[in-house]
Amino acid sequence: MTTFRLILKEMLQRKLNFLLSLLAVVIAAALFVSFFTAGEASKNETIRLMRDIGFNLRIIPEKTNMEKFWQRGYSEYTMPESYVNELASYEGISYAHITAILQKKVIWRDREIFLTGIAPELSPPGKKKTPMIFSIERGNAYIGFEIAQSLGLGKGDIIEIFGKTFTVAHSLSESGSKDDIRIYAHLYDVQGLLKIENRINEIKALQCLCIEYNTHTNSLSMLREQLAKILPDAKVILIQNIASARENQRIMAERYFGFIIPFIVIVCMSWIGILAMLNVRERRQEIGIMQALGYSSSKIGALFLGKAVLIGLIGAVVGFGIGTGLALKFGPAIFKVTANMITPQIKLLYWAVIVSPAVCALSVFIPSMIAVSQDPAITLREE
Amino acid sequence: MIMIRLENASKTYQTRHGQVRALDRVSLHINEGEFVVVRGPSGSGKTTLLLSIGGMLRPSEGQVLIKNSDIYAMSKKQRARFRAENIGFVFQLFHLVPYLNIIENVLLPVGVGRSQYGQLDAKKLVDRLKLMERMFHKPAELSAGEKQRTAIARAMLKNPKIILADEPTGNLDPENSEEIIGHLAEFHSIGGTVIVVTHGKAVDQYADRVVYLKKGHIDEP
Repeated sequence: MTTFRLILKEMLQRKLNFLLSLLAVVIAAALFVSFFTAGEASKNETIRLMRDIGFNLRIIPEKTNMEKFWQRGYSEYTMPESYVNELASYEGISYAHITAILQKKVIWRDREIFLTGIAPELSPPGKKKTPMIFSIERGNAYIGFEIAQSLGLGKGDIIEIFGKTFTVAHSLSESGSKDDIRIYAHLYDVQGLLKIENRINEIKALQCLCIEYNTHTNSLSMLREQLAKILPDAKVILIQNIASARENQRIMAERYFGFIIPFIVIVCMSWIGILAMLNVRERRQEIGIMQALGYSSSKIGALFLGKAVLIGLIGAVVGFGIGTGLALKFGPAIFKVTANMITPQIKLLYWAVIVSPAVCALSVFIPSMIAVSQDPAITLREE
Repeated sequence: MIMIRLENASKTYQTRHGQVRALDRVSLHINEGEFVVVRGPSGSGKTTLLLSIGGMLRPSEGQVLIKNSDIYAMSKKQRARFRAENIGFVFQLFHLVPYLNIIENVLLPVGVGRSQYGQLDAKKLVDRLKLMERMFHKPAELSAGEKQRTAIARAMLKNPKIILADEPTGNLDPENSEEIIGHLAEFHSIGGTVIVVTHGKAVDQYADRVVYLKKGHIDEP
């Protein structure tokens, strides 16, 4: 009689033990498969959602010294103003908002301020959007909180900057940043004040995306490649807080799976181990007679380990079916955008049929060792 | 020719109440083809003696030689193989595997190593022991006599040199007891060596020798 046949016969005899062990494996495998099947959709959904949010970019002149850029907060070089129109009209990317900026630190009324010229925002053709950055009419100025406070300026006041008169259209609230010592005006007005006609030193592009999306390539890299084609003298900086949020979300999702999966596996391993221990106790005399008949320890151990492997295999296949079914049934309701991406993940079946029997064998290792090391002389004398 | 030789074999068990000396320097020679009955009161060491001869209970002291081989000098694996090839066991509680039917239980020893014995030999034995009609029944569906006949068939399948029987009739009525002893006698008649541990005297008529054990000592009458 082969070991396999003995295992099958025993499983059919002790159906409850077999079914309870199988249940543990099926639960673990089904949860594993459903988590990862839905998890894959979740990952895709995150990519899609993030992609749809787009990148917030700062486009600055190529020659910019980045150390100085971060120290000053702007580039000491300029680039053609026409870049903003080239970017806005380029069909290879989509965007929500684009604006051209020229800014410089200047001395005004015995204090250092950032004089910032902002062009009216450009929106995609046919999509009139609410400006993300305020729009300033020519001859008007927006005054940062600190400047307004220290100089007692308010809405309607007239100020003179480098010989040109401006009306204070708005006194900005406290921002806690360099914006509190900033005066905003129309781009053309600032270009005139700084005598830098038709030049800008930054383009802000919000929610900027490539039209063609390739899932196998980093979308930011793709965007940079696209922009390099039309703006050869510019470089692209990602506004970091978006990137950090994205990274944090990915790490959080990984930690969540990292916590939940081992927890489930440990619970199920303990469950299988306890059932195997009960099975060994129940089969003490059977093991004893097998030892008396000359069965070696390895052969007896193989009966328990083989049973565990078989349960693991059956459980993996059944668990894969149930887990995939659960993901297909409930996943689309959770991940609406990527619902059609929730498909059976055959690679999970391969993983399940490898990992599940191995984990089951590991679970019954101690009970198996107890079985093979028990003294037949004691068990065969028991009544 | 001496088949089994015990030389000053002792076995001491450690219990919660202290040490128990189940066998105390027992020396015993059993010839090939001999039918020996071991008798003695409960706790006299009969089963310990039988399991020691069967290679399942290592003596604390002394030697057990079968066919001049010291079986406890062998590795566990070698001893298991030796046991499978040379010794058949019959127990009072039958110890049949509950999920196997009669023919599968009889074939159980075939699972050890390469065996020349198979289904046909098992069927012959089952027929000889009048179990043919019950061949596909599981132990739970059998009477005590049928269970013990199955155990005897299992012990005989690989044509062992020795059968060790521990109270083989302890759970049987007189009719079944006589039948079981008859099968053991039949094995003996074809040259097999039989050692039967029993309280009953029915078996004495077939015995070449009766050995009495008392407090772990052989007490020759």
